[in-house]
Amino acid sequence: MKTYLARRLLALVPVALVVATVGFTLIHLAPGDPASLIAGPDATHDDIRVLQHQLGLDAPLHVQLLHWYGRLLRGDLGESIFLRKPVLDAILDRVEPTLLLTLFAMAIAILIGVPTGVVSARYHNAPADQALMSLALVGISVPNFLLGLLLILGFAVGLGWFPVAGYSPLEYGWARTLRSLVLPAFALGFVQSALIARITRSSMLDVLREQFIVAGRAKGLGERAVVYKHALKNALIPTMTVVGVSFAILIGGAVVIEQVFNIPGLGRLIISAVLRRDYPVIQGVVLCIAGVYMLINLAVDLAYMLVDPRVRYQ
Amino acid sequence: MPVVTLPRTAPARPGVPRWLRLVARRRVTVLGAALLALTFAVGALAPVLGGDPLRMDVSARLASPGRAHWFGTDDVGRDVWSRVLYGARLSLIVGGAVVVVSSLAGTLCGLLAGYYRGLDNPVMRLMDGLMAFPAIVLAIALMASLGPSVINVIAALAVVYAPRTARIVRGSVLVVRETSFVEAARALGVGDGALLLRHVLPNCLSPLIVQGSFVFAAAVLSEAALSFLGVGVPPYVPSWGNILAEGRLYLQQAPWLVIYPGAAIMLTIFGLNLLGDGVRDLLDPKVRGLI
Repeated sequence: MKTYLARRLLALVPVALVVATVGFTLIHLAPGDPASLIAGPDATHDDIRVLQHQLGLDAPLHVQLLHWYGRLLRGDLGESIFLRKPVLDAILDRVEPTLLLTLFAMAIAILIGVPTGVVSARYHNAPADQALMSLALVGISVPNFLLGLLLILGFAVGLGWFPVAGYSPLEYGWARTLRSLVLPAFALGFVQSALIARITRSSMLDVLREQFIVAGRAKGLGERAVVYKHALKNALIPTMTVVGVSFAILIGGAVVIEQVFNIPGLGRLIISAVLRRDYPVIQGVVLCIAGVYMLINLAVDLAYMLVDPRVRYQ
Repeated sequence: MPVVTLPRTAPARPGVPRWLRLVARRRVTVLGAALLALTFAVGALAPVLGGDPLRMDVSARLASPGRAHWFGTDDVGRDVWSRVLYGARLSLIVGGAVVVVSSLAGTLCGLLAGYYRGLDNPVMRLMDGLMAFPAIVLAIALMASLGPSVINVIAALAVVYAPRTARIVRGSVLVVRETSFVEAARALGVGDGALLLRHVLPNCLSPLIVQGSFVFAAAVLSEAALSFLGVGVPPYVPSWGNILAEGRLYLQQAPWLVIYPGAAIMLTIFGLNLLGDGVRDLLDPKVRGLI
């Protein structure tokens, strides 16, 4: 088990290295060099040269790259050109809404997806199964931002049950925060619930064909005990992987949904940074999200190991 | 009494290919193909069916759907019907180009990584690194550096989706590489290049085609999302994402700016998903009834 853990952690190193390099490349792909961007349009040629030297941009590219790795290891993401503060601080200021939105959406996705998949598998090929799976197929065809706009039209503009947009921070009370996140979280989570439902259904169907299920039925176990106790537990293993992947997709989706609902999270931060050409912020947010994504994947692998002892011996 | 049951295959009818009859047997696949064909037709005939998508008419700003403007107009008086039609064209161009570019790049990387053991680790670690970013986040970051344009959207999305294709191709190559016909070809002295292209690649095509249909759907969605966020194609270009972005600002006064392009996206993606599922089943020998 320890060797497995060590191997997983070691496997992260090359991936992290590539991620860091991609982050470095982003700023160098952009037209014009970073120094003239930071200095602004009014800067003279000499100003830019001084700044280039200060930022180490006059060093050879491989030296710059090594410096960049060093800075990342120290957790230094640089300074925002526009906000005039460290990128890390800007990110930490905006992390709360994104995190809560993603978690809320995840909860919705699991709470809708898993029961739908289980019911579909239990009534395989019956009308209930066909109806639910058609709905799931429609579900994965709706872009989350479109669903968000439609939800605003229906439940905020039409019925007035929820605020049209905006976010109420936790310090004003969690109930208000929750209410401001209902529509965005639903828009974000619904598509993933369709995906989770499809996977849960197919893995339930696989498990229900296994011999231990037949044995359970043969010894006279009720249908409920067979489906919910014995089959579900085993079927949840593939579902767990998808939940991990879903979580990562949800972080990406949150970027888009925040724009729909005017939620001041990481997504709004990166989009406004793109529009202001604030490259250090873009780099920082992208790297943070990729870092979280990698840690989630690691966590999923480790959870897998805890649930399924077979994985440990691979 | 017969002891051998022959496989249930329809008698060969001249003129209709077997795969087409297999497709026609599944109604949902036909529906998917029909929806996609509709999008293609609409995109191809946009200049005939609609007017100028860029012409502004300030006297008819945010006009509701009616005889003059079937889908209403936007905030500068552009005809939404024409913009949705031209949007179909853009979506298909972007989707198709991303499929072609990402498949070529992904196949090349996958073939090399799967076939040459020495390349496997470096190439696949690079792909893993690129896949460590959520698709839309990497696309946004690339667009920030490249700047808004149709070509750049295609380039950014190709970078995002190529690693996913590479992983799938590599997986198939690893299996095909060990088969005896590849060994036989090698023993006969077939060179690496010919071996890869003529013997290995054709046997990896099924998963590649299935992946292509899903990349198409994902690329259409991503283009809409990028343009909606204002980092995709330039705002004047008629794109479903661009119309939706305007629609967000006039949600209460002009819901048609959301409803029509939204319906267009949904129908197209729905069609692509149905078709993708159908193609996957069609290429799966187990489902096809051959095994």
